[in-house]
Amino acid sequence: MNNKNIPTEIERFDLSARIQHVIMFTTFLLLSFTGWGLKYAYQDPASAWIRFWGGAKMAGIIHRAAGITMLLDFIYHQFYLLNLARKKDLRLTLVPMPKDVVDAFHNFMYFFGFRKEKPYFGKFNYMQKFDYWAVYWGMFIIGASGFFLAFPVMVSSIFPAWSTQWIWDVLFIMHSDEALLAIVFILIFHFYNEHLRSEVFPMNWMWLTGKMSIEQLKHHHPMEYDNLFGEKSEKKK
Amino acid sequence: MRNWLNALLLLLFTVVLIPSADAAADAATCLGCHGSMEGTVNVNQEKYAKSVHGSFDCIMCHMSLKGAQHQGLSGKADKATIELAASISSKSKIDPTAQAACAQCHADIYELYKASVHGKNVIIKKSSDGPVCTSCHGSAHYIQPKASKESTVNHFNVVQSCGKCHEEKHLAEKYRFSPLVMERYLESFHGRKLKVGHNGAPSCVSCHGSHDIKNVEDPSSPVAGANKIKTCSKCHPGATEKFVAAITHKPLHPIAHYAEIILIILTVSVFAFICIHVLLDIYADIRDRLFRKGGKHE
Repeated sequence: MNNKNIPTEIERFDLSARIQHVIMFTTFLLLSFTGWGLKYAYQDPASAWIRFWGGAKMAGIIHRAAGITMLLDFIYHQFYLLNLARKKDLRLTLVPMPKDVVDAFHNFMYFFGFRKEKPYFGKFNYMQKFDYWAVYWGMFIIGASGFFLAFPVMVSSIFPAWSTQWIWDVLFIMHSDEALLAIVFILIFHFYNEHLRSEVFPMNWMWLTGKMSIEQLKHHHPMEYDNLFGEKSEKKK
Repeated sequence: MRNWLNALLLLLFTVVLIPSADAAADAATCLGCHGSMEGTVNVNQEKYAKSVHGSFDCIMCHMSLKGAQHQGLSGKADKATIELAASISSKSKIDPTAQAACAQCHADIYELYKASVHGKNVIIKKSSDGPVCTSCHGSAHYIQPKASKESTVNHFNVVQSCGKCHEEKHLAEKYRFSPLVMERYLESFHGRKLKVGHNGAPSCVSCHGSHDIKNVEDPSSPVAGANKIKTCSKCHPGATEKFVAAITHKPLHPIAHYAEIILIILTVSVFAFICIHVLLDIYADIRDRLFRKGGKHE
């Protein structure tokens, strides 16, 4: 193997992607904190918690502003992807593939000790793809319902008359329940994988540097490593 | 002569000591007994003094007290008050005259109340269900200004006051209002915002009115027909007929109910999956570190 061509670290997220992530998690936290107070309005600390955020009116303003910023961040991300595609830089490494189901199965086999090796993960493993597409789910369910709930008079004109009896309840349930799911998901899955895992504790610094060491890549994303630096890739180039 | 003078002095003293409507029937006289009595006849002197009516003499409202102990302690009820007292006597058992006396000073509000669904039920139908003044405002002895946090009709407390009756199932059946009206309001954005202290969030009276409250089938009700659009527009400018259909306080529609169940199942499944995944990951990580001494790990 030609070691001279292999760098010590590799960039996984460019500056734009890192900034998008910072905006995403900042607005996510603001939305969670302010929304929590309203979702659990009848639990005791809610009123004090809302007061901490400057009262009900201010918490509402923060929630709406953060929500709109997050939606804009999401829309910007689509243009970012289009731009990558235009520059022919877009690799479809995040698209769910049948291999992900196999990988998940192999990973569980590994957990239970039936396999010695971790699956042959690509650039993004199935957990990371799950994490990524969860945001899309959140945007369509929570983001859209939140937008509708924030501008009810305007939005009511697009709903058919026969839906008015239940549509607002459905939107409210969607917004509230799926927000809880998103918070739980981030708090357990994302926090474990990127903060609490013994290898990355207290956090995976990639959100700031965008870079991963070559050893990490070889260990966690062997297929990507082989694609970039393996024998096959050298043949191609 | 001297004996005669003594007798006169004694007589004067007696006159002063005998409770009389004109001279000695102020609140202190009554509270001498009622301040320390037990039960419904008790009046808490401290709270009474702090109320908006704290400077009143008791007999201004208690105009027709009965019993020997109250002899000479009485005001004079006018004809209107006596009539009103008679018509609310099935609702107000202890002292209907005192209940009716509110109308003497609050005549304008009484006119609104008389025409309201509550007032008609009490005064015309002589029902014992409908609210009189004290049902919502609490005892006249302890009434606080509406702005006070202790007031039962304060913006943030009035929902509970309405709920005293409107949460009752037998009343919901009898008067055909939604039995879930309170529950549905409390879980709505309006109810939640009010709960966490939003001044602009509507309470019951913001939309339905208070003293002049009407049945929803009454065309003059602020939530009846086209009036509802006007009422919602107070906070939601540009409200349309389609928009105002959103708030009904009716039980959750089946579609919304099943949507909720589906979302709960989804949430619980994802929650279970990620918890199991993370726990297995931790288990495998510890196992590898202890027993496999994976050289590839950092």
